[in-house]
This record gives sequence, C-alpha cells and structure tokens, in this order.
Amino acid sequence: MVALRSVDLAVAPGEIHALVGANGAGKSTLVRILSGVVPPDAGAVEVAGRAVRFRSPAHARAGGLAPVFQDPAFAPDLTVAENLRLTATDPAAFRRRLDGFGLDGVHLGEPAGTLPLPLLRMLDLARVLAHDPALLLLDEITAALPADYAERVFEVIRRARDDGRSVLFISHRLLEVQEVCDRVTVLRDGRNVDTLEIKGPEGSGERTERRIVAAMLGERAALAVSEPRRVAPRDTTRAGEPALQVRGLSDGHRVREVSLELARGEVLGITGLEGQGQDELFAILAGDRRPAGGEIVAAGRRLVARHPQEAIRRGLTLVPSDRWQALLPQRSVRENLAVPQYNAPSRWGWINDGRERRLVAEAIARLSIDTRAQAQARRLSGGNQQKVAIGRWLVGGFTTLLCFDPTRGIDVGTKHQIYDLFRELAAAGKSVLMFTSELREVPLACDRVLVIYDGRIVGEFKAADADEATLLSAAHGLADTLTDSR
Amino acid sequence: MSVLTASRPLGPTVGRLTRRHAWTAAVVVFFSVLLAWNASQTRNFGAFEIQTMLASTLALAYLAMAQSVVVIGGGIDLSVGALLVLANCLSARFMEGTGFGTSLLVAAGVLAVTAALGALTGLVITASKIPDIIVTLATSFVWGGAALFVLRTPGGGTAAGFQTLVLGSGSAWWPALLCLLAPLLLVWVPLRRSRTGIAIYALGSSKDAAFLSGVDPLRTRMVAYTFSGLLCGLAGIATTAFTGGGSPQSTIAMNSTLASVAAIVLGGVALSGGVGGLVGPVFAVWCLYLIPNIMLGLGVDPSYGEVVKGVVVVLVVLVGGLLRARRSRLT
Repeated sequence: MVALRSVDLAVAPGEIHALVGANGAGKSTLVRILSGVVPPDAGAVEVAGRAVRFRSPAHARAGGLAPVFQDPAFAPDLTVAENLRLTATDPAAFRRRLDGFGLDGVHLGEPAGTLPLPLLRMLDLARVLAHDPALLLLDEITAALPADYAERVFEVIRRARDDGRSVLFISHRLLEVQEVCDRVTVLRDGRNVDTLEIKGPEGSGERTERRIVAAMLGERAALAVSEPRRVAPRDTTRAGEPALQVRGLSDGHRVREVSLELARGEVLGITGLEGQGQDELFAILAGDRRPAGGEIVAAGRRLVARHPQEAIRRGLTLVPSDRWQALLPQRSVRENLAVPQYNAPSRWGWINDGRERRLVAEAIARLSIDTRAQAQARRLSGGNQQKVAIGRWLVGGFTTLLCFDPTRGIDVGTKHQIYDLFRELAAAGKSVLMFTSELREVPLACDRVLVIYDGRIVGEFKAADADEATLLSAAHGLADTLTDSR
Repeated sequence: MSVLTASRPLGPTVGRLTRRHAWTAAVVVFFSVLLAWNASQTRNFGAFEIQTMLASTLALAYLAMAQSVVVIGGGIDLSVGALLVLANCLSARFMEGTGFGTSLLVAAGVLAVTAALGALTGLVITASKIPDIIVTLATSFVWGGAALFVLRTPGGGTAAGFQTLVLGSGSAWWPALLCLLAPLLLVWVPLRRSRTGIAIYALGSSKDAAFLSGVDPLRTRMVAYTFSGLLCGLAGIATTAFTGGGSPQSTIAMNSTLASVAAIVLGGVALSGGVGGLVGPVFAVWCLYLIPNIMLGLGVDPSYGEVVKGVVVVLVVLVGGLLRARRSRLT
C-alpha cells in the first residue's frame, strides 16, 4: 500500500507552514519520513540546502528536525526525568520551556504514564523545544487538547517563528490553521495538490477555507462541502418516554450527581475540559464501571449493569474515543462489523453467514466505508476506522449510541458524514449521546448540549444558541448557567 | 495554572517513592515474616541456617536476576536454565582436579562464554525480529545439547577453596551474600543509572516511545542479554560450587527456567516489561526457599511444598493486582 506518492514541500526559515489533508492523504507518513522513523523509497530531503537521509529519530533530531506526535514519545513506566535523559535533554532548558508555558508545577519524578495525555503532549513539546530545533514538526498536536493549552501551543510556535525557526503544523482544524499559519499545503492521495498563502485573520477567511476544503476533497466531493456549515438541525425529538434517564449518578470520586435525560430521536452533546469526569460518566453508562450512587433508566426500566454486555442488551452501546478499544486490528472490516452480532448467535450457536454478510454490506454502504483495505482494520485510515467503530453498532443494533469524541483526528469530509449519520439515526428514532472536545461541532451535530465541569453538569443549552464563548466559559466553571428547564 | 493541572496535584508527594517501590517493600516484609516463622520453628536458628539458605539459593537468585533484566527490557528468556546447565558443565569439567587459582581462571572464562552467548541471543532476536520467546526456546535446546558435549554424564569437580570462596562454610554466611551482591553493585547499579539502563526500561515500557526517543533497540537488547548471560554464567558456577560437580540434565534447565519466572513475578517484575528491579526477585527466591522448610517444620508432607509455592505465587500476584487496580481507581 502506498501512503505517500510524491510530495514536494518547501518550508522557509521563520515560517509556520500548515499541512492539511483528508485522512489517509499521507500527512503522518510524511512526518514519519521527515523525522527518520521510516526511510523514504525515493526522493530527497534537504535541510538548509544540504541533502540529508535520516536513519533514526535521534539522527533527525541531531539534524535539527524534531517531531511531536499525537501520542507523546514518553515511556509510561519511566519518570519524566528519566525520559528526558533518554533523549539527552537538558532538564534546565526543559524547565525554562515549561515555565514559558505556565506549567511550573510539574514534578519530574512522576512516572509519565500517570500524567494526563494533554499535559504529556505539552511536556513533549517542551522537550523538543529544549533541543532548539530548526524545524518543528507538529502532528495534530491540538487534537483533543483543551482550549487553554491549544492557545499556549500557538503562542509557543509564534515565538519559535519569531526566533527564525520553522514549523510544519498538521491540523484538521482549519480555523486554527488560518489563525496561526503563514502558508498552507494541501495533500491529497499522497500528493501535494495546492499551496496557498494565508493573509492574516482579516482577509477573505471563508474563501480560503473553501479553497482548502475543495483541494482536500478533490473535485468529486467539492460540491458536498460548498455548504459545510449546516444550520441547527430540525427538531426530530419524539414525545413519549425518554430513551435514557440518569438521576443523581455519581462514582464517589469524579462523577457527582449527574442527571440528564435523552429523548428518543435526540442527539445530546456533552462538552467540557479534559478530565472533568466525562470518561468515568461514559464508562458507567456503558456498564464498564459501577456507579456509587444514582440510577440509570434505559427505555423505562432501571439498568444496573455489571458488565458492558448488560448495557448492550438494553441498547446502550459505546463507541470509545480510543478506536483500538473497539476494533480488532488484525481482523477484517467485515469481522469487526459483525462482532457485536456474535453476542446473539442464531440457533445452535452457529453464525448465520448470509445474514451477517447482508448486515455488514448494509453498514458499509450506509457509512460509505472505504473498503480498499478491507483485509485488516488496522490498515484503514483514522476516519474509516471510526466509521467501522460506529458501524459495529449499526449491525449489532442499539437504541442509544454513546460516542466519545467521535471526530477526534478525523478529516472534515468524514466529520460531516458522521454528523449526517447521527442526524439520520435521530430521524429514525434512535438517540445519540456524544461527548465532544470540539466546541465548533456542537451546533453541527447536536440538538442540545450539556457542559460538564468537575463532575457536575453546569450548563444546558439549545445547540442553536450554543456559541463557543458561552460553552467555553461554562466549561471553565465560570458561570453556572444551568437553567432548570425540565 | 489551568483547570487541568490544578485538578491534579503534580507537586512532590510523600508517597511517590514508596509507591514506586511498594512491591519490593512488600516482598521484603513477606520474606521477613517467613524467616521469623522459620526461625521460631528451629532450635538455635542462626548463622548456619542463614549460610545454608544463601548457599543453596545463590544459583537461583542469579538466575532470577538474569530473567529480570530481560523481562524489564520487554523480552523473556527461556534459555536461562539451559545456559546455567552449560556453565555448570563447563566449569565442573575444567575445574576438576585443579587448584584454587586455575578454578578462578576457569570461572572467568565461563563467564566470558555465557556473556558472549547472551549477546549473540540479543543480536539474533533484534536482527531477525523473531520474538524473544521463540529464539530463546531454540537456544535453550542448543545450550542444553552443548552441555552434553561438555559433560556426557554427571561428574566433574572443583577446587575446595573455590567452593568456600563462593559459598562460605559452616557459619560464615557473608561470602555467599557478597557473591550475590557483587554483580548487583558492580554492574547493575551503574547500569541502572546510565542512559543504557534507562533505555532498557524504556524499551520494555513502550517500544515506540523508546525508538522515538532515540533508543537504539539493537544495542539496548544486546546489553540486556549480555548482562543476563553473565548472570546465568554466575548461576552455573554457583551450582558447580554448591554441588561440587556438573550435571547436564535437561530437567534442571527446565525447572530452573520456570523457577526464575515464578521468582520475578513474585518479585514485582511485570511480564509486560518496563516495571520492577533485581532486588525484589532475589527476595522472592528466598521466600520460595523458605516455604517448604516451614512446612517441614509444621510436620506437613514436604511433597505439598510445591503445591503451596504455586498457590502462593498466584495469590500474591492476585492480591498485588487487586491492590494496583484499586489504587488506579482511586487516583
């Protein structure tokens, strides 16, 4: 399989250069080649006019190219200090960078595995900067990063540019690309298809964005994105008994007295900063964790799930944020889609092959999963993996879909397909409860949105009224905007 | 400071150090209890009993350390027992009928051979990308077969002075302890603090993160397996000193390999790699030695000893796992 065909890219000194493209366009592969993780089959990389061929990440770092990946390169069982020694990073320089981020309370004796992911990413960035790289490679560093951290990242890379360094910035968030970057190169199918200057935030923002999206998706799909901003969805909520009721749910630690109600045919969003109890809340709803208090009522009956299987039987199914918790990487797309079916084998325990094949084919068609790499789920691009993770439940059957950050690290086109799917499901009387860390997608996918802060629901808004500023201030616990509308 | 960091204190906490070494501490406590129990059963418990324990467990203690290094680095070595047998046969054959000085020279030679074989194992594993478990299973047959060429039947011998040097005698228990501590203090402590030592832990903790951090997997693997080979050589020589000869039986190889795995599991080394140390497994070896002794003191048929040892390993790991799970739920 060829992920990267032919890419020409030039990053000037003192430039922030964005690299955008749909999933599977070859962005990550390009970064992996530039940072010495995998060798290129052909072509040349030049740094400051001299041809280089990096044998390893350490070699690339010595040559001034330093990557920060989505998964921070920290060995989880080692302390932060030990990880620094591994990369021969000067702790004093590292500390100075951290202070610059406003993160001066980090203890270096803490095992890296116990730190939250966003913080680790910031530590990774600080470590890379401590080596004073000529070119900084940032692979989707802002994905699922809390807004305040993302702001700091932007500050840092602007400062790096002002010092004459170059930054290659990969992101799916076109807004931040336009805000932060000087130029943007669009990749499609392993080739660079367009490079354009960004004239600062004032210019013709919308036109730039449209051109980027069109280049990303190619002519075929350009029509579909000509109106990417869907207005608030129409009200499909059905009267009658709610699909899911949660009353006073707590786990004695992170989740405190959470109550919510999800009607049939409704897409309910939950948003919040990292670590506000949303992970625990979803784990409890999915039957993966037992609550300490409160009750869950699914389809009119009380649900006390001791195992995810019991929640699944009652139609409460989870699509976790980590796709590898849902998918079997070495098995085929077909088998992955059919797995939830195996819970309910037909008579005599045999798997009904014909029925399975039909349901799977339906799900593939409905989700327009790219089945070029049908052989193994791990060979799919991130967006297609996410579609498979959702598609499992289309095959398996559900009444309420719990989705945790369903569009994390996914390209714009696929995101809209997922929003559309949620709307379709809602129109068919199903319910969706989704957590999202991307505030901008709330009005695109949801009917209503709750804000979680410190284990409590602190705000409730109609998705149409939920502008980013309001949600953000609620997410920071600044305003208690919970209106007792029920 | 953001909400994120404020909600999770990252400053120094009192429990951090104890948390990191909690398992080792627990094994030491477990050992102390067993030792006290055993002592209460024996009249005039003293230096002689300690010497017996140290001398008879020396080989297995080395072997547990050898297994630990490899497992911490993310591998597993099924050939430690076979390498012990090979070193045992080599040393017993060439030490037989020699004086003290020659025996020392032979010991040095044997260590050089086993360390080289360890390095070769590490090279083959990394270069071929065949999983550790398969390569070391294969090498265990090779080393075991080679032992038969060296010593066809049990036999051989060693210099009496050499035996005393390694194991001590009568109530002199400290030579065995010194021999045990030597590789720990001379090789492991400096290694653990070096970049290479950290790289071993990093490789076991997360291969990808280690590679991205600039760890050279080939070099790191080879260092781990070389040290492991050296310790296997020491284990073989200790066996020669303890039994006064060599034996090429493959059952010895198999049993001691399995015992080394039991010891590291009990000693707090995670089989998934990256976690643990060398001290815990040594105490675990002593615990596993004391259990049958205590049962003997209680008048229970010693045949039950193995059963109880097995049950203890499972129970300890079970309880430890539950405690870890509970802790991770709380934090």
